[in-house]
Amino acid sequence: QDRTITGTVTASEDGLPLPGVSVKVKGAAGGTTTGVDGKYSLKVGNKATALEFSYIGFLSQTKAIGGSSVVNIQLKSDSKTLSDVVVTGYTTQSKKDVTGSIASVSGEKLKNVPVQSFEQALAGKAAGVNIIQPNGVLNNPPVFRVRGFNSISLSSYPLIIVDGIPVFTGDQSANSAAGNALGDINPSDIESIDILKDAASSAIYGSRAANGVVVITTKKGKQGVTKINYEGWVGTTKAQNLTPLLNAAEYVQIKNEARTNIGQAPAFFLQTKSDGSQVETNWYDYAYRTATSQNHALNFSGANEKTSYYVSIGYSNQEGFIVGNSFERKNGRVNIDHKLFKNVTIGTNFSYSNTLNRAPNTGSLPGQAFSTVGLGRLAIVLPPNVAAYNEDGSYNINAPAGSVGLGANTIASNYPNAAVLVNEDKNTSESDRIIANAYASIQIVKGLTFKTTYGLDNLKIDNNSFVNRLQGDGFTYGGGATSNFVKNSRWNWSNTLSYNGLFGDHTLGALIGAEDQYTKSLGYGATRQGVIDPFIKVFQGAFGAITPAGLIQGDNAFRSYFGSINYDYKKKYYLTGSFRRDGYSGLSANNKYGNFGGASVGYAISEENFYKNLGISKVLTRVKLHGSYGEVGNINIGNYPALFLYNPGLYGLSPALSFAQAGNPNLTWETSKKADVGINLEFLGGRFSLDVDYYHNNIDNLVQNAPQAPSKGVPGNAITTNVGKMYNKGFEFTVNSRNIEHDDFSWTTSLTFSTLKNEVTALGNNNADLFGATSLETANITRVGYPIGSIYTVPTAGVDPATGERIFVNRFGQKLRFSFARATAARYQYLDGPNAGQNAPAIDAALDATITGQSIPKWFGGLDNNFRYKAFDLSLGLTFSGGNKIYYGSLAGLRDQRFWNNEKDVLNRWTTPGQVTDIPRLVYGDNTSNGSAFAQSQNVFSGNFLKVRNLALGYTLPKTLFSKYGVSNIRVYAQSSNLWIISNYPGPDPEVSVNGNSTTTGNSGNLAPGVDRNSVPSGRTFTFGINVGF
Amino acid sequence: CKKNFLNTAPDTSLPIEDAFSSPDRILSQVNGIYAGVKTGQFYGGRYLIYNDIRGEDFIVNKPNGVTGLDTWRFNLVSNTNEVVNLWGAIFAAINRANLVIEGVNANANLLSPATAKQYIAEAKFLRALCYYSALQLYAKPYITDNGASLGVPLRLKGEKDLTGNDLKRSTVAEVYTQILKDLNEAEPDLALTLPATSISIRATRNTAIAFKTRVYLSMGDLSSVVTEANKIVTATAPFKATTGTPLQLEANITNVFSGAYVGNATATEAVLSFPMADLDAPGTQNQLAYYYNVSINQAGGNEEYFLNPSGIFANPVFAAGSTDARKSLTTVSGANTYLTKFKKPSPYTDYIPVIRYAEVLLNLAEATVVSDPARSIALLTAVRQRSNPGYIFPATDLLPANLKNTILTERRIELLGEGFRSPDVMRLGAGFAAKSGTQGSAPAIPFNTAGYIWPISANEVQNNKLIVQN
Repeated sequence: QDRTITGTVTASEDGLPLPGVSVKVKGAAGGTTTGVDGKYSLKVGNKATALEFSYIGFLSQTKAIGGSSVVNIQLKSDSKTLSDVVVTGYTTQSKKDVTGSIASVSGEKLKNVPVQSFEQALAGKAAGVNIIQPNGVLNNPPVFRVRGFNSISLSSYPLIIVDGIPVFTGDQSANSAAGNALGDINPSDIESIDILKDAASSAIYGSRAANGVVVITTKKGKQGVTKINYEGWVGTTKAQNLTPLLNAAEYVQIKNEARTNIGQAPAFFLQTKSDGSQVETNWYDYAYRTATSQNHALNFSGANEKTSYYVSIGYSNQEGFIVGNSFERKNGRVNIDHKLFKNVTIGTNFSYSNTLNRAPNTGSLPGQAFSTVGLGRLAIVLPPNVAAYNEDGSYNINAPAGSVGLGANTIASNYPNAAVLVNEDKNTSESDRIIANAYASIQIVKGLTFKTTYGLDNLKIDNNSFVNRLQGDGFTYGGGATSNFVKNSRWNWSNTLSYNGLFGDHTLGALIGAEDQYTKSLGYGATRQGVIDPFIKVFQGAFGAITPAGLIQGDNAFRSYFGSINYDYKKKYYLTGSFRRDGYSGLSANNKYGNFGGASVGYAISEENFYKNLGISKVLTRVKLHGSYGEVGNINIGNYPALFLYNPGLYGLSPALSFAQAGNPNLTWETSKKADVGINLEFLGGRFSLDVDYYHNNIDNLVQNAPQAPSKGVPGNAITTNVGKMYNKGFEFTVNSRNIEHDDFSWTTSLTFSTLKNEVTALGNNNADLFGATSLETANITRVGYPIGSIYTVPTAGVDPATGERIFVNRFGQKLRFSFARATAARYQYLDGPNAGQNAPAIDAALDATITGQSIPKWFGGLDNNFRYKAFDLSLGLTFSGGNKIYYGSLAGLRDQRFWNNEKDVLNRWTTPGQVTDIPRLVYGDNTSNGSAFAQSQNVFSGNFLKVRNLALGYTLPKTLFSKYGVSNIRVYAQSSNLWIISNYPGPDPEVSVNGNSTTTGNSGNLAPGVDRNSVPSGRTFTFGINVGF
Repeated sequence: CKKNFLNTAPDTSLPIEDAFSSPDRILSQVNGIYAGVKTGQFYGGRYLIYNDIRGEDFIVNKPNGVTGLDTWRFNLVSNTNEVVNLWGAIFAAINRANLVIEGVNANANLLSPATAKQYIAEAKFLRALCYYSALQLYAKPYITDNGASLGVPLRLKGEKDLTGNDLKRSTVAEVYTQILKDLNEAEPDLALTLPATSISIRATRNTAIAFKTRVYLSMGDLSSVVTEANKIVTATAPFKATTGTPLQLEANITNVFSGAYVGNATATEAVLSFPMADLDAPGTQNQLAYYYNVSINQAGGNEEYFLNPSGIFANPVFAAGSTDARKSLTTVSGANTYLTKFKKPSPYTDYIPVIRYAEVLLNLAEATVVSDPARSIALLTAVRQRSNPGYIFPATDLLPANLKNTILTERRIELLGEGFRSPDVMRLGAGFAAKSGTQGSAPAIPFNTAGYIWPISANEVQNNKLIVQN
């Protein structure tokens, strides 16, 4: 006898009706779904005892029918199920079934964070993933490393896949306005980030997987009525931990003392203004400011049985604490999936963004460290007893010299007036970008699906810079402008056939596919010099001269075939394997193709019957072991490295053809052999979990721009070749804990902790050392037996208390005193020993320097705690990192004894015999004693730090206030970023890398990490925001 | 489908297989060697600048490590940029020369025998110029021990692969022997004259001869200086070359530094100069005018170095009231006087003077001080009177004991800023004088003491196991 049951399904959080919930009789086929009002009606047989309710994103529930004909139910949302699926390349997999090593970060965790690009917010969020923010320049790409530094000369940036499209990454700007390509992606559109760390999970990306693969999935509409979400925040940012500098009176005293010490007359004097006051300039005021930012994101989403949609728009306008630095992004996205026929689904992910970056020359991007117009440097070297503006409001400049005015000094500073540069010079980099794909998926028979996807990433960048004629780079040529326009376009067409089947206890998944990708870059531009009239500030104006600049032409192609297979037996024993054959256009004809692959096994002991009978299974509810091994590649070798090339050019007005590139026809990819073993433990049904992994990446065939003896005269003194070996190994720990779960109060904790040991085991040219330059300075070395990019400085042994002279230690272990006050041949003298007091050979930085420590962190991680009490929530996010050394090169400049201003600590300089201090006796002109002439060990410091990365307090307004207006949820919050740094590092921030991700010889981020040289500090941000859901 | 999908090549560069495929391309390759020598890091600017600022005639005004501060004050180490970059630029040019010699030999069928020989001769001339330049900074002067000290590695074959990093330094004498071998082999094969568009910017027979006078003078081989110079200098005034490219002092020195020489039939002074053009400029912070010229009146200079009031600028030639035309090649800005021989503003297209006929005359004058003082005085006077027609040298200046010094002084006046001071100090076995200004001071460096010559590039030391550091 049938009867009809009716009821309403609502969400427990907000009490609103849930449409589209599946309702069926337990143990029977058929069923129904709820309507838009959440109501259902279902005929049931007399044997029916209970109803099952299930809905994506909510915990399924079973409710007994009893004698009632009305069954209402509240479904609890299941945040766990949302993140229960990981995207492993071309397929998805249940997290429980993963046997590789994949770190997943939910888009929720990136929400509301005041960043420009999503990866800036990843610090501490995923084990094995190290994010180093180079400095406070907006939209400057962070150093993003997955399981160590996986290359020496090639990019170590992970491959970033957005909705299946490998996208452009890195700083795409051609000038001082940093333009991280990933800043074009609105973080609030991101549903999940899956970071494929080991070979088994990443091998499906073959030759591009060695640095790890980051798979970004953007949001999709979910079953139900249209949801509207608004997220907005406003905030302020300030520079933090600026180094205290000498004021005007101290500057005059210190500089004149230095002159007196070498027998020179005083040359620095206080300047008195017409009102009798003295000129006192804090140049930080002209470089830094309190900036304001705002960010808005609005999205609409929903789905029915046939169509799901997600539409979003976003606007972000962030000002930097650096004067003139800003980031403005406008973006829109449409994601649609539509069931065309019963077995055909089509869809698209389409996004457009416009990003405008503006910045002064901060001297803080790779290659800029020693720029004399870098704002970070100007703020610390300009004399404080000289004004930025004259009393009549005009700039204070020494016009014929192109430098800041002398004031009362008799020696001119070489440096330009920072106020002129920040006001008159301009750098912008504006990108227009479309990342889009369209797909069609056809189910041929049950379980067998063919999918074709065409994706593209079109990135157009318009770079413009202007330099004025008064001061700075444009001075000698009367002002100038450089503009260039770059078109990067990439298409990617993949076709896959996938199969999923269940045969009793056996689950099988298989995939085969083929993919072509083509990338082309074209750039056009010119530099104009000699402004005709000073009102001209743009490239298009009238200038005296024009020369080409920023011309780019290049292309490359991939052709790939790949496959993977997943198998498990009773969800107990797992086996997966994947394979890819990649062809790359940049390799020579005989070396185009390479094969990559990986395999993993898993064993869920907790699924064994014997385990289930053990007492411990009540506490330790899930135990899974997994291991993987595979080989992947790194092919970031550029477009044409295999070719021997001649470049046409000019000799005066005549054509000139010259050898331009020594190619290498034997070049092939770097191979990374990755091994991984791990264990996943869940306690109390998942309330507490611990994941531990050990990894070992053996990288060989390292591509190196193998240095050639310069006397060979090979262009660039290097040939790209496969030499060298290196490994990265370490442990990763991830702990997630729901410590307290009550209706009124909850507390969750998550911790990631990773260790990294890197060692270079072979290099080219008979293991010749590789030096890492920071523009003009070399403070890093890559040497066999040591970690990549180790700090390399000349050892010093403090200051001799008797004479106040810096003590150097040469390669023979002898201590030498140095005084710039003596004649050249007598500057270095033996401190002690049989030759004490006699002249000694000068220190040779190349021969006398030693390895002072490793520059990449040995351990790092994050600790997040989230508390909720009734309507209040509090989150505290810490990150930590350490075991490394930072070369604080800026300190050499801050103590330089030329006309440069100095840090306050210079007041502790040596003045009297017997005095113990670390600041040598001041000698005017001395650029050696404190480290300007060559890098020295006293400027090397521990990089350990603990940061309060994020602290947020939120309040969710009572629903009753506004539910009648259709508003389902309002949360307001206050938040701070970078609130506090605990560190012994004397500079502004030990999380620093002036060379960033650059792979350019001369400022390579991999060869010269951990260098803090003349760059701007980091900022501290406070935001206030609101999230509204309709 | 697309068969060539994975075969990509740049649209802006030529594959090596096509580099010597036509007579035009081979000529382009010869020009490519000149372009390599002319790079801003080498003869396009910095080589001359280093050699001048090591001397006592210039004082630093902008103490900037990028623009030669440490060269000026003898504070270089093996990895200082100028040491590394100049070394690299010289040898990059040498490799171009070696590759062209091999490439022309391999493709001689595309050229007439005379043309093939001429191209190889030009490559050898340029190789000699490069090796000579390398010796001036990276090795002790020949006079030290008749060239027994270490010179530089002698690279005589083209390098384009991974092999051959290690090569020992040949001695100074061995390198000079190679330089003279190249020049002697080049001399008969070089063109007697070149088309108007190439006059003075490519080497002819007279160029090789003129350069040999400099080389022999550096070796102290005065009789060979005379032998070579006699091929291109008449016995008596007006001195000129009677064969090959016309060579003669121009009437007015300011015309010599008008910025360009090419295509000017009366430009007979430039034995060899390197051209610059808007699209072939010396590059940032390499330009002579940027270092020496003033910034006022849009002159484009950056006032990096001014004339030392107690250097050659103290000579009466530059004094108030002097009518010597060479005084007009200086300008006052602020408290200092600057050299304005090089005057084209950005992108700085002044031609680089490599060999001027005035130098040849002064080389010969110096070589004949003892052997033929009358001719020596006549040569000296020719140079002086070109700029100051009425000038008569005081008799004491021309006494046998003083004549050489008078010539050397004239040399400093005439060739100021053209890269001669340091090689001249060194070949004479002298020390570098101390100098100072408000922006810093440089110590005296006695003959062959620390800092007298440059260290070998740190990059070479690191990658060439057979190299010995200075």
